[in-house]
Amino acid sequence: MPALRLALHFIHRDIRNRYLGSFSGGLWALLQPLAQLAVYSFVFVYVFKAKAPGADAPGYVPFLALALWPWTAFSEGLSRATTAIQDNAALIRKVAMPREVLVFAAVASSFLIQGIGFLAILLALRAFGVPVHLSALPWAAATYALLSVLALGYAFLFAAVQVFVRDLAAALPQLLMLWMFASPVFYARESLPERYWRFVDWNPFAHYTEAFRGALLGSPAQTIGGDLTAVAVAFGILAVGLFVFRRLNPHFEDFL
Amino acid sequence: MAARAQSETQVLVRTSGLGKAYPKVFHRRDRLRALGRLLVGRRGADAVRVLEGVDLRVERGQSLGLIGENGAGKSTLLKLLTGVLTPSAGSVLVNGRVGALLELGAGFHPEYSGRDNIALSAALYGLSAEETRAKLAEIVEFADIGDYIDEPVKHYSSGMSVRLGFAIVAALRPDLLITDEVLAVGDESFQKKCVRWMEQYLSDGGTLILVSHSMYHIQKLCRQAIWLRHGRIEASGGVFEVTQAYLAYHERKTAAQEVAHANATGTGTEFELVEFALNGESADVPALIEQGGSLVARIEVTSRFGREPVIALGLSRADGTTVYGLASDMDGRHPRRIDENRYAVEIVFDALPLLPGSYLIRAHAMDSEAMRLFCTVERGLTVRGESRELGMVRLAHAWRECVDAGSQRGAAP
Repeated sequence: MPALRLALHFIHRDIRNRYLGSFSGGLWALLQPLAQLAVYSFVFVYVFKAKAPGADAPGYVPFLALALWPWTAFSEGLSRATTAIQDNAALIRKVAMPREVLVFAAVASSFLIQGIGFLAILLALRAFGVPVHLSALPWAAATYALLSVLALGYAFLFAAVQVFVRDLAAALPQLLMLWMFASPVFYARESLPERYWRFVDWNPFAHYTEAFRGALLGSPAQTIGGDLTAVAVAFGILAVGLFVFRRLNPHFEDFL
Repeated sequence: MAARAQSETQVLVRTSGLGKAYPKVFHRRDRLRALGRLLVGRRGADAVRVLEGVDLRVERGQSLGLIGENGAGKSTLLKLLTGVLTPSAGSVLVNGRVGALLELGAGFHPEYSGRDNIALSAALYGLSAEETRAKLAEIVEFADIGDYIDEPVKHYSSGMSVRLGFAIVAALRPDLLITDEVLAVGDESFQKKCVRWMEQYLSDGGTLILVSHSMYHIQKLCRQAIWLRHGRIEASGGVFEVTQAYLAYHERKTAAQEVAHANATGTGTEFELVEFALNGESADVPALIEQGGSLVARIEVTSRFGREPVIALGLSRADGTTVYGLASDMDGRHPRRIDENRYAVEIVFDALPLLPGSYLIRAHAMDSEAMRLFCTVERGLTVRGESRELGMVRLAHAWRECVDAGSQRGAAP
């Protein structure tokens, strides 16, 4: 399948390009979220004295790590994919190609790199004595894959709109920051006043923080209904994103 | 290869009523409005039409030249054929794999090395990693850019980019090769290499669409040609016919500007050129003759004081290279006095040996001593014919110790 081969080429190029030029190479993929986790842990654990909810909670650091890594993959994939079409304007103007590949490669490479970091941190937490349920890894991997589908949906939408409205890429970091704090990454849904709980469900990303924590740390898990809703939402957003992307695709060249 | 042989008459490219309009985008607001319009499934309202009603048909094994002025829509048409652009009207149908070299560089990424860009182009064309590896040596050798192959493409000269781009397309051996002004950038030896390659490709049954401003290359490589003007097909057909019509059009355009200029440089009215007819035609249009036909130039000059003028005639190629020049005093001739203040000459060329192409022909009126130039009138001359000979004139010649090759490629009659 030529499109898949092309996608693999772009993913390979993307990964190599991001880490070959820097001194620390592939290590950077691990160092960056680690440093982020260290800073957040210091601030929240030592300054704010934050605690994970639940009596037998395994501590705040694993609680945070399990939501922060998926978020990093999600937000990074999204911000890279948003400019994927614009960044490859030179190519798009000269070569006929399935442009979906560019967006897909941006999302996939982010999820691959952060996925490896995620796995490494899980093993590290386990080594430090945190009771991470490694038996739930396949389930976590499936959840992670579903998250990438959700990210891809938004990515198609944003990448297409970015060609027409260039402000989107500039506003995106703020938007993502807001989104992160609106999601139960640093806190649990239970820490909010109860009347706000149902609003959390309006945030498609919220499901994933709870799903990862539920599966890997044994905190209150999602119901089957919640999981099915998440699948429907992820593929629904993918469908919308693809629809918008394909509708605007023939006109990209005119506006690049 | 087998598929090529068995489907000789297969249509490779067909367009009907093909048109392209670019949206007018001036403000941010326009972009937002366009986005909204497109999302609900309507087309943008304001648009600049760059191509309209193009019907095209290219069969396997054909070679088509695309000519026209800058901004005539040639590149847009190529982009529509390759699928980079989406038509705003009409349809494009392309069978077979297309290898395209649009403008410079064929979509190279400036930060990556030549090798990486080869891999990208191959992946875009749909080759697997193994197939790419197999072709790599061939590409590197054809491009012949030395150690630059491992340098980022941003350090390449434009010639090197084209070398690499052409080398890649050549290695892919597409069913249809589309190139846009590639030959103009490479140096002499690379141009020759490309032309040789394209000739081989065509004789192997390949199909070519070539855009060039060089009529030499168009005539050498193409059998059919299309002249685009203001986004429409102005002429299409045999390459010689179309290129000559195109050159004649240019001739008219520049002649109109230059005659005005030339007339303005006359230093006085003591001698004035009042009539300059070519084959009896004195209207200000390029004279048209068949190759080997005869040309009669009639020139009349008024002389204010009745003195006899010296009348000169010069013939040059469109680019200004002089082909031939003569004057009445050189040949020891005196213009005939037709009345008190009027003199006339007729210069006759039987079987004019000029090769097909566009020429300028100038008549000059000078004083009796041929010391001062008083008046110049310039006209275009188009020689029509089919010939692959090079240069401006056919020199009388004969072949010996050889056999007739029976060339099918329109050898001179």
